[in-house]
Amino acid sequence: MEKMKLKLLYSDLRPELEMIEKELEQAVDSQSLLLNDASLHLLQAGGKRIRPVFVLLAGKFGNYNIDVMKRVAVPLELIHMASLVHDDVIDDSEIRRGQPTVKAQWNNSVAMYTGDFILARALEQITEIESPRVHEILSKTLIEVCRGEIIQIKDKYKLDQNLRDYFRRIKRKTALLISSSCELGALVSGTDEKTAAHLRRFGYFIGMSFQIIDDILDFTSTDEELGKPAGSDFIQGNITLPILCARKDPEIYTMLKANLNRDLSNEERLTVVRTIRNSSAIEEAKAMSERYLEKALRELSFLPKGQAVKTMRKIAFFIGKRNF
Amino acid sequence: MKGHQIQSKIISMEVEVLDAVRQRTLDQFTEGPSVKESRLFFLLLPFFDGKNWSPEIESSAKTVSIVYAALHAHDQVREDVPIIKEQQLTVLAGDLYSGIYYQMLVNSKNIAMVQQLATAIIQVSEKKTSFFEDAIRSIEEVEEAITVIETELLLSFYKFYDFSEYTPLAKQTLLYLRYTDELKHLQSKNYTHFLRELNSNLVHEIYTEHWLLEKLDSLHRQILVSIGDCSLDHELAQFLLHQITPHQHRAEQLTREG
Repeated sequence: MEKMKLKLLYSDLRPELEMIEKELEQAVDSQSLLLNDASLHLLQAGGKRIRPVFVLLAGKFGNYNIDVMKRVAVPLELIHMASLVHDDVIDDSEIRRGQPTVKAQWNNSVAMYTGDFILARALEQITEIESPRVHEILSKTLIEVCRGEIIQIKDKYKLDQNLRDYFRRIKRKTALLISSSCELGALVSGTDEKTAAHLRRFGYFIGMSFQIIDDILDFTSTDEELGKPAGSDFIQGNITLPILCARKDPEIYTMLKANLNRDLSNEERLTVVRTIRNSSAIEEAKAMSERYLEKALRELSFLPKGQAVKTMRKIAFFIGKRNF
Repeated sequence: MKGHQIQSKIISMEVEVLDAVRQRTLDQFTEGPSVKESRLFFLLLPFFDGKNWSPEIESSAKTVSIVYAALHAHDQVREDVPIIKEQQLTVLAGDLYSGIYYQMLVNSKNIAMVQQLATAIIQVSEKKTSFFEDAIRSIEEVEEAITVIETELLLSFYKFYDFSEYTPLAKQTLLYLRYTDELKHLQSKNYTHFLRELNSNLVHEIYTEHWLLEKLDSLHRQILVSIGDCSLDHELAQFLLHQITPHQHRAEQLTREG
């Protein structure tokens, strides 16, 4: 339902997004029936398509040509999809968006090759763009995203890590790819550097806010709403902002420490979730997300007024207020 | 070029590749990147053979090696539940190496090579996945799949830089090495996806072993012919025969037979 609401916000991009959707389907077309099935399975599980949306919106500040924009929008979504299919292996996830993951439907190896295939398709497509700057940004982003994930695994189950570690991690894990989507959209449409920089920063701040909200929702939503067990981050040892805020309470700290890195029964998991949900951590984390949101909105104020800014503003507000 | 010079160049390339992908956490928890000497030999073969060689070509050769390492890392991901830290980092190692190869080629302004390698990766991924499909296929199809998996990245490098004259030799040798490994796996009852498919095609593993031995013999003969066709100098040919393809299967067979 929330995904539908989000899609309504960018309904003025519907024809272009339908085109992107078809391009995505074509992009994952393979001689291998199994790769075809696995990629389509992933594609049809849906998604907010937030990265293509930001590419297209950023392009509205320059010489917008959908045939050019789609050459960035499609690969960026493919890169995101490739990372998701590999993430599900890393997190041992059976369900994503209410659907069995590729690794659950088939196995880890098929998930690995599907991810490799989709990433290669993305690179095959984006290399049709000759701008060295585009590739500099994208290749750096890919590396940073991986480094972020490597650090996340290194920092797993470390309850005593600091806030800076968390912010650095989510920057690499989420914010950079959204930031790059905005910047690349701006670059390929030929906007001036100043506009591209505002869009890049907008993407970065909105990405940070988006991830914080995602981390909050892991505790405040139901299993059904999430399409996976609430508290999955904690179970997997990912120390997110709500946990970092909640641990300041010595009692909660002790409880978290005792439950970290062990098999939890369903009741124990729900107890952890309820404890975080009922603590002040949620409000504290929301306030931090709000701060990033404000910074994002400030960047928009430097951009020429128009429909694109309006839509970006609406998306920003939605991200800040979304329930799941 | 003397044997020790060939070896030294291969080692120096290996060190450079390892340096390019070095990451502290990955070094600590994973096996590290797989950089095979045989692949480096074939990537450097045009250089050893006195072909026009530039820093750009050498840099591309390194990236091909990194792509092999990336894909190899993902081959190492097992089906264990729950997945352990080493395995999680192995997934990310492969992804990181992919990012690094892309960035290296971007830095040397060689976007066309990124595209060439991406196309090769697509083909390799398709063939790797084919081992998980239910469809029954012929031995020739299985052989074609394994050939693409082993050689497509290297051959796309040759094609890109117009070194295709080495294609038959590289194809035969890399396949020879793969079959040598598969034979060892078979003899130690460590069945790979490839062996399982061969076994089911050939009904019994004794026939699989014969098939592999025959293939190795045939490939060995072809390699000797290809060495002649490429007019490799004596030292280079000797290095290839003694360091890269040391006829392990024959030695093993002789020991078993008596």
